[in-house]
Amino acid sequence: MSNNKELIVRHKLIDRLCHWTIVFVGLVTFLTGFSFFFPSFQWMSGIVGTPQLAKIMHPFFGLVMVALLAVMLMRYYSHNKWNKYDLPWMKAVVWVLLQKEENIPPVGHYNPGQKMLFRSFVIFVIAFIVTGIMMWQPYFAPMFSAETVNWATLIHSACGILMLIALVVHVWMACWIEGSITGMLYGKVSKAWARKHHPMMLEEDHKDK
Amino acid sequence: MATQDIIRRSGTTDITPSAQARIGAVKEVTKLFDATKCTGCKACQVACSEWNDLREEVGTFQGSYQNPMTLTPESWNIMQYHEVVDDNKKLRWQFTHTACMHCADPACLKACSTGGAIVQHANGTVDFDSDKCIGCGYCASACPFNVPKISKTDNKAYKCTLCSDRLAVGLEPSCVKTCTTGALRFGTREDMLFYAEKRVAQLKDRGFTNAGLYNPEGVGGTHYMMILHDINKPDTYGMPVDPVIPAATEIRQDWLKPLGTAGLLATAGFALLHRITVGRNIVEEDQPGYIDAAAEKEEDKQ
Repeated sequence: MSNNKELIVRHKLIDRLCHWTIVFVGLVTFLTGFSFFFPSFQWMSGIVGTPQLAKIMHPFFGLVMVALLAVMLMRYYSHNKWNKYDLPWMKAVVWVLLQKEENIPPVGHYNPGQKMLFRSFVIFVIAFIVTGIMMWQPYFAPMFSAETVNWATLIHSACGILMLIALVVHVWMACWIEGSITGMLYGKVSKAWARKHHPMMLEEDHKDK
Repeated sequence: MATQDIIRRSGTTDITPSAQARIGAVKEVTKLFDATKCTGCKACQVACSEWNDLREEVGTFQGSYQNPMTLTPESWNIMQYHEVVDDNKKLRWQFTHTACMHCADPACLKACSTGGAIVQHANGTVDFDSDKCIGCGYCASACPFNVPKISKTDNKAYKCTLCSDRLAVGLEPSCVKTCTTGALRFGTREDMLFYAEKRVAQLKDRGFTNAGLYNPEGVGGTHYMMILHDINKPDTYGMPVDPVIPAATEIRQDWLKPLGTAGLLATAGFALLHRITVGRNIVEEDQPGYIDAAAEKEEDKQ
């Protein structure tokens, strides 16, 4: 057991840079978007200066966020395929939350909860880009009928709220599972961490190569 | 304009309504267009440009006397020319003075993303505050009459104000002031409804049995009403048959907002509760000073 403190790579440099750029760009996108959806919180648009600037900047920040997210989703695609270990884990999700480790079936690089988050992000990215372009004043919105733009606005805001809820879960889990934030910051986790949370990650990563 | 008489304000929750204390003294006003009297002279269109200091670019011929073909950020009212063949196979021109309807229940105000960018005055007029407008276009996509237009020059929404600046000093809108045939009238809502009733009765006597007043209930009635030859066919005047606040706007504001708020708060609340009750999730082997009991036993044996 002497190799317990040994560190292994979980996230490569390019992926980490991608992730934290998305955090920054996404923060601006979400704060400005939130200010349009909840006008009572218009002060949140102050992150870029004024509400008018927020309207201009939101789609551009959104484009960068969506583009980088698409890159990340492609790079992590192989880790997020559904497999036979996922169903037993899903059934034991209550034990996961209660941290009763002896009852949790082993999983690989990502657990089914993370895979579902991944899948939801794929849907959000597509929905944001399609509806976002349709409602983009003054460039693209005039090309569509008012009714179409109105439905696009509804879908865009619904996806925004749902993704925000998904992000709350993402942050909650990252904060709870100690070691995962440093893992995303510096790329490495301990072997003990991997054994505890993603027992089959090592074999899985090995197989990929 | 007077900010004291704002009774409704965009981007504002029902918990904090606009001033409601003073009611009754300010009479609701209405612009009335009598399509049966209009000759399509376009004086209203020009008067609007003059008073509001707007100059639409000269367009190109589109096969109609109508120009421009739709409302624009620089044309807040336009004269629509509709060629209609009536039951006797006779061609008739139907003119529509097209402008903001000043709905009692405005879809634009409901859809607006910005606090106070769209307001409703006590006299019923719906006004845009260009200084606050951010140009998101939600009003343009929500309006069932397709009225607000986003300017390419400054990315702000524009539409007829019912000359709220003139109304504030006791004048009628400039289009009404200039109307050459008396097709446009302006007054208190009560007076206009009274006049319209009499005029419709008169038209019916003269053989226009379907004559009626266009004052759509779906948007709570409008502060710009129209007397039409045939109230059953408002579409022949380019007007929607049954305009309402679009479903997408209602769902977003009345369902998605409260449900989304509840969902967000519930998730965050659950996360916090979980964090506090279940506690930290740490890898014990990685903690400083961790002693591996099994390994120690091995060492003891030796």
